[in-house]
This record gives sequence, C-alpha cells and structure tokens, in this order.
Amino acid sequence: MDALKTTVVLLVEDDAGDQKLVKKALANREIVNKLYVVRDGEDALEYLQRSKCSDVKSPRPNLILLDLNMPGMGGKEFLRRIKADDDLCSIPAVVLTVSDAEIDIQESYKLKAAGYVQKRASSKEFQKVVGGLAKYWFETSSLVKS
Amino acid sequence: MGDLKPVVILLVEDDPADQKLIKKSMLNQKIDNELIIVETGEDALEYLAHNKSNEAGYHTPDLILLDLNMPGMGGREFLRRIKADDELDTIPVVILTTSDSEQDMLATYKLQAAGYIKKPLTLNGFRKVFSQLQEYWFVICKRVVPQEQLSCTAN
Repeated sequence: MDALKTTVVLLVEDDAGDQKLVKKALANREIVNKLYVVRDGEDALEYLQRSKCSDVKSPRPNLILLDLNMPGMGGKEFLRRIKADDDLCSIPAVVLTVSDAEIDIQESYKLKAAGYVQKRASSKEFQKVVGGLAKYWFETSSLVKS
Repeated sequence: MGDLKPVVILLVEDDPADQKLIKKSMLNQKIDNELIIVETGEDALEYLAHNKSNEAGYHTPDLILLDLNMPGMGGREFLRRIKADDELDTIPVVILTTSDSEQDMLATYKLQAAGYIKKPLTLNGFRKVFSQLQEYWFVICKRVVPQEQLSCTAN
C-alpha cells in the first residue's frame, strides 16, 4: 500500500454547487488526494495535454470524474476522445451526472466509462455516493501511479 | 421497483483455493448474488456465447471478475476480446489478481478494465473487498440493463 503518492482526480463539471460537493466528499479521506476542476470537455482535454508535458500545475490524473451535460464539449464527446488516445485511455473515467436515462447509461459504458453514478438530490446522499466512489477507486482498487 | 433478481457475477479464476475463498466471501453479503465460476478465458467466452443465444440457464453477468494468470487464454486476451465484442463490451470487468506489477495494471486499464484489485490474503480481506465491490457496482453505480431483463419487464 502506498500512501506516499497523492492520488490526483480531475473533475470535469460546470456546476459550482456540484464542484463544491465533490470537493467536500473527497477531502478527509484516508488516501490523500488532490482534486483539479475544469468546467467542460475542451478544458479537460487541454488540461490533459498539459499533463502529458509534465506540467507541474496540471499533474496527470489517476481518475477522472465526468459530468455529461456541459456547455461546449459534453461528457460523451470528451470520453470518446480520451478513449481514442493511446496514452490517456488508461485513465479510468467515471460518469457523474443527473441523468438516469437508459440511453445515457448505455452510451457511457459503450464509450468505456468505468462507472456511472447518478447525482443524488440531497447533498448528504450526494456526498455519500461520492465517498463510496472514492472508497472503491482509492482503497479497493489500485490505480496506475502517475 | 428495483432489482429483485440476484446480481450475476462471473468469476474467471482457475485456482481452487481462491474460488473457495471467493465463494465464501460472497455469502451473506448485503446484495443477493449469483456467482458463476469458470476456470479459463475460453470457458468464459463460451459461457457468454451461450448467453448471447438466450439459452436457458445462462444469465448475462452484471459484473465480471477476472484473474490474469490462467492456463490457455489469459486474462488480458479475454479482456481484449470482450471489449471488442459489440454485445459484451458494456459489462464491467474488474481484475482480481495476485500481480502487483505496474505493467499488468497499465495494460489492463488500457484494455478498459474497470478496476484492478490485488487479491487479499484472508477471508475477511476478501469479504471486505467484495462488500466494497458490490457497494460500488450495485448500489452506487447504474449499469446497463441486460436485454433479457428488459423483455421481461411488463409495462
């Protein structure tokens, strides 16, 4: 077990309230993690390009959390692009969205999402599911060291 | 409303001791589950092929747990094949292995594994892992509803 390296999470989410909730849920975890937030698919792609060049301010994420509905490039298009990238495709990307539409679930998994979490209406529930998500990826599962 | 049927987990694992431990740790979990065990990648593909043709007694797995080191077709090759299969590629596959090699981890994430779990050493360790696994995949996450369930749902 190595808690020496910080786990880096990239959150692709345009809603300020949801950004806050995710931040809160990921803080105070046993596994130290750092959260980077971008607001849409294009920003996320730019972030990941910078991380490829070992930009200190844009460390490569070990995990991506991804909203579907964002202005500009949405989650599905972003997912399609990173899964087509030979380098970035190994980063697990989990969808975190309000939608529970079968089509969104189906398409996300088709695009190789590593999970699909519906945002809960209550902040408490929201925090709980994000906490459970973090538990799975930080504790149960091993992630590739950056 | 909700899943009344047990969740179906396909375990691809050739070691009898690990099969036993895993079977035991799946008992008395919060979520009712049906564990199907096959020992090789080929057997797993065969099982999934039977299921594709809607044969009775075969259920689309909700989750696949996959060892890497098996005789014949290993885990990586199996993963490659099902992720290339248009009907099977949405089933989440989680690696369950003794290997802590970064190479294995990177290779399987590249092949779109949805988790990489190092096998615990004790029954309690396994119980904890499976509890967390089920929590994530069957409580927290939504998944694709298998066709057979859709056709059974009366409207």
